[in-house]
Amino acid sequence: MRFALIGNPNVGKSTIFNQLTGLGVEINRYPGTAVALEKGNVCYKNEKFEIIDLPGIYSLDGSSDEEALVRTFLEEREAGALIAVLDATRLERNLYLLLQVAEYRMPMFVVVNKIDEAERSGLSIDTRRLSELLGVEVIAVAAREGRNIDRIVPAALGAARPPDVQTPYDHHIEAALTSLEKTLSTPRHRNLLALQGGSLDPLLRDSAESIAREIEQRHRMSVHQIIATNRHNFSRQLAAEVVAISERKTSFDLDRLLTRTMPGIPILCAILVFMLLSVFLIGSWLERAIVAGFTTALIGPFNALGLPPLPAQIGGSLLIALQAGFGIAFPFVFIFYLALSFLEDTGYLTRAAFLADRAMHRLGLHGEAIIPMVIGFGCTVPAIMSIRILKTRREKTIAAFLITMIPCSARTVVIAGIVAAFVGLLWAFSIYLIIFVLIIVSAILLSRITPGEQFGMIVEMTPLRRPQPALVLTKAWIRIKEFLFIAMPVLIVTSIALGLLQYSGIIDALQGMVAPLTMSLLGLPPYASTALLFGIFRKELAFETLAVLGGTADLGSIMSAVQLYTFAVISVLFIPCVSTIAVLYRNLGARITVLASVYSVSLGIFIGALINLLMK
Amino acid sequence: MIIDPSLREDFLEAILNLARDGRRPPTIHDIAAALKKTEGEIQSVLTVLAEKGDAVLAGDGGVTLTPQGKELAMRVVKKHETLQCFFSEMLGMDIPSASNEACLLEHAVSDETISRLGTYMQSPPHRRRGGQGEGGEIVRPLPALTDFNEGDDLIVSRILGKERANRLLDLGVVPGERVRIKRKLANNALVVQVKGCDVALSPEVAASICVEREQ
Repeated sequence: MRFALIGNPNVGKSTIFNQLTGLGVEINRYPGTAVALEKGNVCYKNEKFEIIDLPGIYSLDGSSDEEALVRTFLEEREAGALIAVLDATRLERNLYLLLQVAEYRMPMFVVVNKIDEAERSGLSIDTRRLSELLGVEVIAVAAREGRNIDRIVPAALGAARPPDVQTPYDHHIEAALTSLEKTLSTPRHRNLLALQGGSLDPLLRDSAESIAREIEQRHRMSVHQIIATNRHNFSRQLAAEVVAISERKTSFDLDRLLTRTMPGIPILCAILVFMLLSVFLIGSWLERAIVAGFTTALIGPFNALGLPPLPAQIGGSLLIALQAGFGIAFPFVFIFYLALSFLEDTGYLTRAAFLADRAMHRLGLHGEAIIPMVIGFGCTVPAIMSIRILKTRREKTIAAFLITMIPCSARTVVIAGIVAAFVGLLWAFSIYLIIFVLIIVSAILLSRITPGEQFGMIVEMTPLRRPQPALVLTKAWIRIKEFLFIAMPVLIVTSIALGLLQYSGIIDALQGMVAPLTMSLLGLPPYASTALLFGIFRKELAFETLAVLGGTADLGSIMSAVQLYTFAVISVLFIPCVSTIAVLYRNLGARITVLASVYSVSLGIFIGALINLLMK
Repeated sequence: MIIDPSLREDFLEAILNLARDGRRPPTIHDIAAALKKTEGEIQSVLTVLAEKGDAVLAGDGGVTLTPQGKELAMRVVKKHETLQCFFSEMLGMDIPSASNEACLLEHAVSDETISRLGTYMQSPPHRRRGGQGEGGEIVRPLPALTDFNEGDDLIVSRILGKERANRLLDLGVVPGERVRIKRKLANNALVVQVKGCDVALSPEVAASICVEREQ
């Protein structure tokens, strides 16, 4: 038997889910969407049950991926019982979704979570009365303390039943529902959706559309607005019956500091810089350790085996891929997600989005995009993975293009290792300058040409709270597993393919073919093209390969300053690494991936040629 | 001498319109032509208006409105324009008859009716806030969230723009709901409290939420 947790974002569904299941969670993605479903198991009386944590949503009537997914989930009755989670401190708003869920008439019961917080702020909730009003079992829970968590599974097994509660709608809506039900014999919840234009059934959609138009003309309001208003009013009535406010305790509100321009923006900058620096420092230290460990423990002994050339090539490529994958996954993806989950769990992220909205707006994005952009300085891969927090495809597309251009820490290694070391520190900074100008120009360009309307930010500010280490760790762990799952196969296949190409001499032939181009257009030695090609595993590899092919670590002795500078600029801008391509594909599909890759390659070559032309 | 209030309004309206059209203050002759009355009638009514403090008769025969007269005149002009716009645009009457009808009703209609009629004509899907329709400049737009300050308690009266309204509706920003502005940044980005939750809004979203001050 399966149970599903359903509720608004930030009601503590994940906490309950973790309390019930512990580790051993598996992530399922629905095809064609970026929405993740978490599944876990719970044992009760020697029986195993599956629990699904549905994505947090505010409504069932919207068109977002999350809402559509939950709707399908309910429509197909994929769970034996629904566990509707409500936030005791925001009961009225939470009841709005519950009333929508109730329309589906599935066996369910209600968990009123955060009862401890409600008590602390002077609210008391009459769960017995709520249970009478809704017609289902209601359990008061404090998931963080673990209070009453043990009552959830027994309730799911024994007490779940279809609710009695029914929202009284405006009489025109009720009449429309009855007439649709009579003529097409479709259930009420589907008719409600159809009246709001969200039905997939053409017959129902057409009949509902004409009725809806009539109602809209009479009310001078969209049907969606009428229905929403009815539900909110009914939620208010319900809440008024069960919530009692004894005393409003006002404690110091941190938001007085966090959401003001002063000192909010300096705090935001400090947090972002701290996050970036810690990932930079810890991440690159860990990465060096992992890369070195791989080299001494696996690659060295493997090379010493003295295998015949073909197996040696394949094995070597495999090891390089593993090295690149782990070298990104643990140091960067994991640490970033650790930091991000931490910030997310404290509720600070929504404040950051609010403050950054204006700046991001100039780039054709919204406040929420600040997170992926900042993460991009550490590693492009988790940055691309986190663009799913953006709402519209337009924003996701713009953000994806920009993020692939942001100099990640690996590119910083290239800039530091080649330009700062052999050309000069100021020249190294000038590369950053070039890139930032290009990013801003691209952003302005992209916000003009990317299709789709720009919507403003509408974000619920999650309450500030102390993060839970276990939850933060689980979230980070889930992300890293996802990354390894997505990127590893791609890395391995590409690496072996490239190894075989090299083995068969095609790479050398290719290098010879593009040599005139490399030399005349970019002014670089022929082997630079191969070095750039290897940069697609890890950007640092471009730098390392250059040293290997050049036969010396002292790059200054084999290439001129202009050549080194050009090489660095190209490899920084050049095609995103394979892992990035893999997550891009996963999150945005083939078209955007190809476009973003082609764009960065041509931009890299163009700027490289320009530099060569100007400075030669 | 006592004059009919509607006659007073007609006069003030005519003087304001003439003053708007011409470069110099209108003369008795101009007013007589506009109202289709004799100069003698005009002269006697103007004396009364001057006594009431609505208008001033200058030595050169020019008539100018006092601030008080001008305010009254503008109110009438607005009523006239709103009614005429409603009759011609929404009801499809031709402009001369719409104007005549407006001339009669403008004296009786209340300020509140005009304000509501203006709002009604503004409403989507026919016209968006600030749209440049023929009536667009005449009707005063409803105040939006961005017109208020931190700490103000407000009632949502209308949400403009269909698509973005959905998420707002889900979060409880529906017509009739109380909201409080908790934070307002210099760029008009807002945090509002609605149903006990804080919601952050971009300036362009906040500008699409029309509100009234809580009574």
